[in-house]
Amino acid sequence: MTKTAANSTAPAIEARGLTKSYGKKTVVDGLNFQVHTGRVTGFLGPNGAGKSTTMRLLLGLERADSGEALINGRPYASLSAPLSHVGALLEAKAFHKGRSARNHLIALAQSQALPVRRVDEVLDVVGLHDVAKQRAGGYSLGMSQRLGIAAALLGDPRIVLLDEPVNGLDPEGVFWIRNLMKRLAGEGRAVLVSSHLMNEMAVTADHLLVIGKGRLLADCTTAEFIERHTDPAVYAATPAVARPALLEEAFMRLTAGAVEYSSR
Amino acid sequence: MSTATVVRTQHAAVRPTHRPGFTDLMRSEWTKLKSLRSTWWSLATMVLLSVGFSITACAVYSHDYPTLDPSTQTEFRADTIGLILQPGVEFAALAVCVLGVMLMTSEYSTGMIRATTLAAPKRTSALLAKAATFGGLIFVLSELVAIPSFLIGSAITSAHAHTSITDPTTIRAILAFGLYMAAMGLIALSIGTLVRHTAAGISIVLALQFVLPGVLSLIPGSVGQHISNALPSGASVIVSSGHNATDIYSPAQGLLILVAWTVVLGGAALATIKRRDV
Repeated sequence: MTKTAANSTAPAIEARGLTKSYGKKTVVDGLNFQVHTGRVTGFLGPNGAGKSTTMRLLLGLERADSGEALINGRPYASLSAPLSHVGALLEAKAFHKGRSARNHLIALAQSQALPVRRVDEVLDVVGLHDVAKQRAGGYSLGMSQRLGIAAALLGDPRIVLLDEPVNGLDPEGVFWIRNLMKRLAGEGRAVLVSSHLMNEMAVTADHLLVIGKGRLLADCTTAEFIERHTDPAVYAATPAVARPALLEEAFMRLTAGAVEYSSR
Repeated sequence: MSTATVVRTQHAAVRPTHRPGFTDLMRSEWTKLKSLRSTWWSLATMVLLSVGFSITACAVYSHDYPTLDPSTQTEFRADTIGLILQPGVEFAALAVCVLGVMLMTSEYSTGMIRATTLAAPKRTSALLAKAATFGGLIFVLSELVAIPSFLIGSAITSAHAHTSITDPTTIRAILAFGLYMAAMGLIALSIGTLVRHTAAGISIVLALQFVLPGVLSLIPGSVGQHISNALPSGASVIVSSGHNATDIYSPAQGLLILVAWTVVLGGAALATIKRRDV
């Protein structure tokens, strides 16, 4: 830990030969990729492809068997104020049910030496200011997601990781998260979002990372991905404005050999 | 909802005011501790049990003094400070233990542990900050309980024995009261960290405090007594005069027992939290 500042020219996120096994099952298998600022990168894969595990490896919640997961060029665990580098919304809840949203965020802000006024700012951003003093255990799924996002944005991070952020949300919540991700990318941040909802990714992601059985299957722009992996005749017959709708078909064709359970 | 809001403050990027360190983690842990209702319920229970048992024991023994057998009367006079403070410390430790276990297991059961670990990825520092904050709070609060407990107990027992708050033995016992409670809290916190489940953690702590001492003392001869009193509960001997003929260990040995349990379990907790996936 000799460097105090993270390397700003390094890719926002970088995986180098990242590998993780549980027993004999290799969940993440030699992943190499980079995630860059200024765009939304969709992280796709069938269930069990290793998306969540990869995100947890990037965040130091799990330890890689081999390879490296780097945030701004450094391992997450070596960041001195990590929430100022990366904000993360994980799939599972990450707050105490008995504590209010405001106290939860204050505790996180204090741990990062962030000013407490920032707590009120992020509560405004996610629209929770009116319920901020209620116990978070009483929140709806949508409100819980907003609290998770408030925590992710607390440190004004250059990188935002969102694991299945729209799962179970109502249309308004989905719309809000979609626009938030675009806005974050527009502000020059790197946004990495995992999902298995193809139509959602088709309208949100500029770039795609697709994995299956822990291996990288594709790393390209969303448009390139659709062009490469759909039936050429179908692609040619589809008007350009409707092509995002082909993402699902492209994804199915590419990952056909990598799904965990399938009916034949 | 608020679609017009901006994510970043227009004026300047949000930056930490300084490089965050251990005191920032302690402030964070203090906010976490005081913002849960269960903390205040447990602490109120601790105060009530502590003062209640001290006063009850003093009142019962003082009232029955003339009818006590001579050996008990001798104990009463030789270890009045133990009579006043020990009943309180032994039962109130129960509330502290439950709180100590839950402080950690509730982080696992609610998922808060993920937020804690993301904020402090060098996990041992977060656990140490939690231990320092919780241990400090329990020590201070216990001292605030011990002093009035002693004064009330001393007044009740004054007809048969003399005790004074300026007496070195008294001062040592009052300090030991807070030390014992804080160490019990840290032992429980370590157990909670090791097992991660509330029910399992509380069961283990209760077994260690209330079941094992009785079971182990059934071993024949003095061996059973020596093993039984080497449990953390036996270390409550530090809250006594040391002049009680029935005590197996001296207060100094009790302190060693307490420190050994705290250090060994704390070390195990630190070692496991570093390795485990959350």
